[in-house]
Amino acid sequence: MSKGFVFLAQNNENYDYVQQAYLLALSIRATQSDEYKICLVTNEKLNKKQKSVFDDVVEIPWEDAAKNSDWKIENRWKIYHATPYEENIVLDTDMIILQDISSWWDFLKNYNLFFTSKVYTYRGEVVSSDYYRKAFTENNLPNFYSGLFYFKKSDYAHDFFKITELIVNNWELFYGHYIKSHFPKRQSMDLTYSLAAKILDIENEISNNRISYPSFTHMKPKIQNWEKSTEYWQDLIGVYLTDDIHLKLGNFTQSGILHYTEKDFVNENIIYKYENYLGIKNGH
Amino acid sequence: MSKGILIFARNNTQIDYIKQAYELALRSQEFLELPVTVVTDSPDYLKEKYKDWKIVFDKVIPIDWGNNDSSTEIAYISKEYRNKKRYNDGSLTKKHLEFKNEIRTQAYDITPYEETIILDTDYIICNNILLNCFEQRNNFLIYKDAHDLSGFRERKEFEKISDTGPDFYWATCVFFRKTQENKIFFDLLKHIHENYSHYLSIFQIPSSVYRNDHAFSIAIHIMNGYSKGDFAGKMPGTLYYTTDKDILINLTKNSLEFLIEKENYLGEYTLIRTKDINVHCMNKFSLNRILDKEQL
Repeated sequence: MSKGFVFLAQNNENYDYVQQAYLLALSIRATQSDEYKICLVTNEKLNKKQKSVFDDVVEIPWEDAAKNSDWKIENRWKIYHATPYEENIVLDTDMIILQDISSWWDFLKNYNLFFTSKVYTYRGEVVSSDYYRKAFTENNLPNFYSGLFYFKKSDYAHDFFKITELIVNNWELFYGHYIKSHFPKRQSMDLTYSLAAKILDIENEISNNRISYPSFTHMKPKIQNWEKSTEYWQDLIGVYLTDDIHLKLGNFTQSGILHYTEKDFVNENIIYKYENYLGIKNGH
Repeated sequence: MSKGILIFARNNTQIDYIKQAYELALRSQEFLELPVTVVTDSPDYLKEKYKDWKIVFDKVIPIDWGNNDSSTEIAYISKEYRNKKRYNDGSLTKKHLEFKNEIRTQAYDITPYEETIILDTDYIICNNILLNCFEQRNNFLIYKDAHDLSGFRERKEFEKISDTGPDFYWATCVFFRKTQENKIFFDLLKHIHENYSHYLSIFQIPSSVYRNDHAFSIAIHIMNGYSKGDFAGKMPGTLYYTTDKDILINLTKNSLEFLIEKENYLGEYTLIRTKDINVHCMNKFSLNRILDKEQL
């Protein structure tokens, strides 16, 4: 069975998400075996260097449903239909992979679809705060994080993405029915996938709260168990990436997958270090 | 393998740590039947005051100054760090006094035992639970979580060494075997002590006082590769403590009575009594007052 990492990137007026996807792909190249392919789903134009790190660059199927949107999540359900691989780990573009996670594939192959429902702070503690997730706790919805999920091409997953498509295209209607408090200002894929699982009543089939991994480190600042309040985690702790691609945040070595969340985490220096590590020319 | 307890006692102008060390040694004999070595800069005072010191202590190791190149069984300090901290005596009285605590970093070199339990002098032994240390497979044991007998105080400072930093460990009570890994740990501890201002800065610790708890916590974090790890095992049982805002008022063989400060009522206290549990009693003044009565 073909296996690969797949992610979707659409730039908006303010930000280059393709460059985020490029860094994610570099981090996959630096840590994973060639057995696992990398696919970017995008309508953007890639430069030669960016193209070189992806095995497949696929256009967003059908028409671009996010043409007039700034948030650009209207196409996310299409990733199921766009990927050329049979087994897929889907990632948000603002993530990097820091270690070999081949053992995760061995675990995930037991599922048709799997969502992580437990994430970690940069200190390796399970996130317990629902600061950003009141809509989940208050409305008793499955606590899914769509930053990382897995699916196998299957009727099971297909049905899930059919209902996801319906919710994405009619989100106010569905949210209105299921989210009675903390109604969000805009659609969230975390909530949409969670609702799909709730409607299909498959929460316990597609997640497992007893296991530690697959998961990721979630860097939203209010869930780091800090007394000091901040909107920007890089104000409180530094980012230290060695030439051989070992990352510390503050005084903590990072491993697994990092969801860095802040856009300026991606800079010339970090890209250069990854390119240099992988022997990709013209770093700067 | 030889087993024993190692304690450090350095008096300042107002607190007689030797007195506490003597009590701790008696209790170690009573409950644990373990030999006790005391490391002190006041050996003459100790021997003068406690005529039975040869019975109570297995060894008295003096602290000397200079280079450690001539003799064994002497603990050397090459540089004194002037460390001052606030000592409370109940919730209304406080004093700023010298705090001579850095020699604990040399415990590995000093201890005469293959298996050692380091104890603070203000740790009151009332049972034999610490004997379980010697049954553990882990070569280094320390308490991470502790229980405040007040029940109401939230002490964030005992959870992490700083807001953004790693877990807090209590250097009050530490078990270690003489292993190569532990030698590295204690060498690292010395390095942290010698470069303490640097470590205060990078771990964002908002204090200038050298604390063994912080130095041990940093060293454990580094031994774990700057992440969560299993270098340090858990000491047996629970570490119970009262702060220096509480007052010890009575001490018998296995029972203690404290006045615990009241929440929101400054200067008022609640009486509590413990039985058969070891307690870290941080109010050194009240501990010494009780010992004065007892040791008369």
